[in-house]
Amino acid sequence: MASYHPNDELLMRFSAGMLSNALGVLVACHVERCPHCQEKTRIYEQFGGELIAESDDAELPADLLDKTLARLSDEGESAPVKVSGNVPRPLQRFLPDDVSQIPWKGMSKAIKEFRLPFGDDEFDARLYKIAAGKQLPEHTHRGREFTLVLSGSFSDNAGAYHAGDFVLADTSVMHRPRAHAEQDCICFAVLDAPLKFTGWFGALVNPFMR
Amino acid sequence: MSTHFAVEPALEMLLIAIAQQRDQAAFRQLFNAVGGRLKGYAVKSGANDKDADELVQETMLLVWRKAHLFDPTQASALTWLFTLLRNKRVDLLRRNKHNLISADDLYLEPESAQSEHDAEPLHQEIESDRNQHIVRNLLQHLPTEQRIILYKVYFEGKSHSEISDELALPLGTVKSRLRLALSKFEVLARQHFLWLLIIQMTNY
Repeated sequence: MASYHPNDELLMRFSAGMLSNALGVLVACHVERCPHCQEKTRIYEQFGGELIAESDDAELPADLLDKTLARLSDEGESAPVKVSGNVPRPLQRFLPDDVSQIPWKGMSKAIKEFRLPFGDDEFDARLYKIAAGKQLPEHTHRGREFTLVLSGSFSDNAGAYHAGDFVLADTSVMHRPRAHAEQDCICFAVLDAPLKFTGWFGALVNPFMR
Repeated sequence: MSTHFAVEPALEMLLIAIAQQRDQAAFRQLFNAVGGRLKGYAVKSGANDKDADELVQETMLLVWRKAHLFDPTQASALTWLFTLLRNKRVDLLRRNKHNLISADDLYLEPESAQSEHDAEPLHQEIESDRNQHIVRNLLQHLPTEQRIILYKVYFEGKSHSEISDELALPLGTVKSRLRLALSKFEVLARQHFLWLLIIQMTNY
C-alpha cells in the first residue's frame, strides 16, 4: 500500500469532478490502487450528494421529462474496453497493453520519456523511465511536479518512493532522484512548468530542456 | 432542508424498481423528485440554463442505463446521482475542446453491484444510510466560514491558493479552515464504527 498520498485538496477537487485533466488522471491512477484514498473519495462524494440534497429546486422545461422518456431506448456510448496487464486503468486508453512496448524517447542513458497525449491546456503529462541504479542531475522545478510511481522505486534526500506513491515537488524542492538498483523506475508525472536544472552541469545536460 | 430528509429511502426504492423492473413510472417519479435539484446543482457549478437542462437529461438517461450498478450498501441514492451528474458534466465540458480525457478514465465504475455484496446486505444498507446521515449532520453544522470553502471547491473547483486570493484570506487560514472541516470527516472515514456508536448513543 502506498505511503504517500495526494493531499485532501486534490482528492476533494477530484471527487467533485473538478480535476478533469491530466492531474485528474494522475490522481485517478493513485486512487484506483489506494483503499485509503478510495475511502476519502467516498466521503467527498457523499458531500456532493448532500450538496444536491440542499440545492435549489430549479425549474425545468415542461417537456424535458417527455423528451428524456423518448430517448430511454437510445444506445449509450460503449464502455472502454477492459485491458488486463499492469497499466493502471485510467491510462489504458493511452498506452500499449504491455508496458515494455511503450515507445520511449531517449533523453539520456539515465532517463527516457513518453509524452501522454491528453490535450490538456494546463498541464504537461508524461511517463519517465529512470534506468535501474541511475541518478538524475540535481534539479529544482519551475512549477509543481506531481509524480506517481508506477513501477520500481526511487529515492531522493527526502525519502524513498515505491509503486503507488504520489509525490509533489515544487520550486522549494531541490533533489537528485536515484532509481533503486533492482529495476527501472517508471513514473507518471504531471507538470505545470518545464523543469530547470540548477548546476552548470545541469545546464549542459538538462534532458528536460525543451 | 429537513423536508428532503424523508425523501431518500424512497429514491433508493425508485432506483431499484428502475433497475429490476425497468419501471418507467418509477423513472418519472425519480425525475420529478430530483430533476430540479440536479439542475440547481448544475447551475451553481457554472452551467447556463440550456446546458443545465441538457446535463439533467443526460444524467437521467445514465440513471436509466446504469441503475443496475446502483448499490444501496455502498452509497445513498443522492450520492450515486451526484457521481453520475459529475461524470456527465466532465464529459460535456470537454466536448468542444481537444481534451481527450473522459469521465470513464477518471472514475472507476462499480462492477456488478448486486452480486458482490450478498453478505449481510441489510446491515450494510443501514450502515450506509446512517453514514449519509452523519455526513449530513456534520455538513449542516459546519461553520459558515468552512462551508464557503467547501462550496468553492465543489462548485467552482477552486484550489486553496485561488480561494485565498478570492476571499482575501491568508493561505494558511484557508488551509486550516478546510482542515478543520475535513478532520471531522476523516474521523468518520477512519473510525466509521466508533462514530456510528457515538451517534447512536447520543440519540441521533
